[in-house]
Amino acid sequence: MTINKKGQMQMTETIAVLFIFFVLLLFGIIFYYKYQQVAVKEKQEELLAARAMDTTLKMLFLPELMCTKREAEPEDNCIDVLKMRQAKATFRKYMSDYYFGIFSYARIRVVDLVDKQELVLYDKEKTKVLDNGTMVGDWEKLEKTYFVVTLRDEIKGQGEARYDLGYIEVGVYS
Amino acid sequence: MIGLVIIVILITLGMLFMAIFALKEDPQKKIFTRKGLAYSTVSAGMKMNIECNDEVGKVYPQLGKDILDQCAQDYQDPLCIKYNCEGKHCCQVFNETMSKMLNSTLGGWGKSFEFSARLVQGKGSIPVGLSEIKSKDGCQGKERDSSGLFPIQAGSAGLVESVLYICD
Repeated sequence: MTINKKGQMQMTETIAVLFIFFVLLLFGIIFYYKYQQVAVKEKQEELLAARAMDTTLKMLFLPELMCTKREAEPEDNCIDVLKMRQAKATFRKYMSDYYFGIFSYARIRVVDLVDKQELVLYDKEKTKVLDNGTMVGDWEKLEKTYFVVTLRDEIKGQGEARYDLGYIEVGVYS
Repeated sequence: MIGLVIIVILITLGMLFMAIFALKEDPQKKIFTRKGLAYSTVSAGMKMNIECNDEVGKVYPQLGKDILDQCAQDYQDPLCIKYNCEGKHCCQVFNETMSKMLNSTLGGWGKSFEFSARLVQGKGSIPVGLSEIKSKDGCQGKERDSSGLFPIQAGSAGLVESVLYICD
């Protein structure tokens, strides 16, 4: 009888410890699943931000837009307004065979803060065609990155280059 | 049974460590973006032309090379009005323009910032503060990134060092 009781006690203890062990294991699995969900989302956002940053840098150093002086010496954080006006048409003309490879699905906007003007240089939206034939946007998020630049205008300055303040907004579609 | 207890303790510790390391990731990209933005903002701000009305008509001095340079040379002179921008003192013109520019860009994008420009006159001398611009909440106690020092040689007056800090 005493031996049976002792055995029963040990069994109960073992069951209790096993129960706690499985409860903890379950908590661990739930925690890991939730964490993975958040981590994947964060990783996606990080990758999107990285792509936005890369696109901005490509944009800032694009010879089609960049200010140069003397023997094509580049100027930091500067966009040549005369080049920019022509670049819009060039971007559109060669979008699929050249510029899409550089910018991918993105929207690039240059804003002149002095003249209060803006120019959308490039806009390639992710799209899908519905059953009824209409084309709609197929993206969840537009990750935007900003860079402050000067806009150099040779005409406005009448012989001397004029630098206006502006910014570039590069948005990438996810 | 002791073995099971040890396993439970080990699993708990493992989960704890996993949680700690998972939450300690460094957002490198954010830092790079802030640094790049800070550098480009000061660089563009110093280079931009502003419109002033002179006796001969409209003039377009550069904010860094002309206005800040003049401010550093004549900050004590109440008539520092070489470019006569609405009759204001050159340091006031610099401060107002820079403040407007920072608030319309960084402020508009929800970034906090601190900008300062100081004149270093020589070895051992105490730097003179020429400009101090902060967003509403500043960067006190926040993680911040700097544009790096932007030096401008202001004639014989000394060296002007400008720096911008951006924080989220």
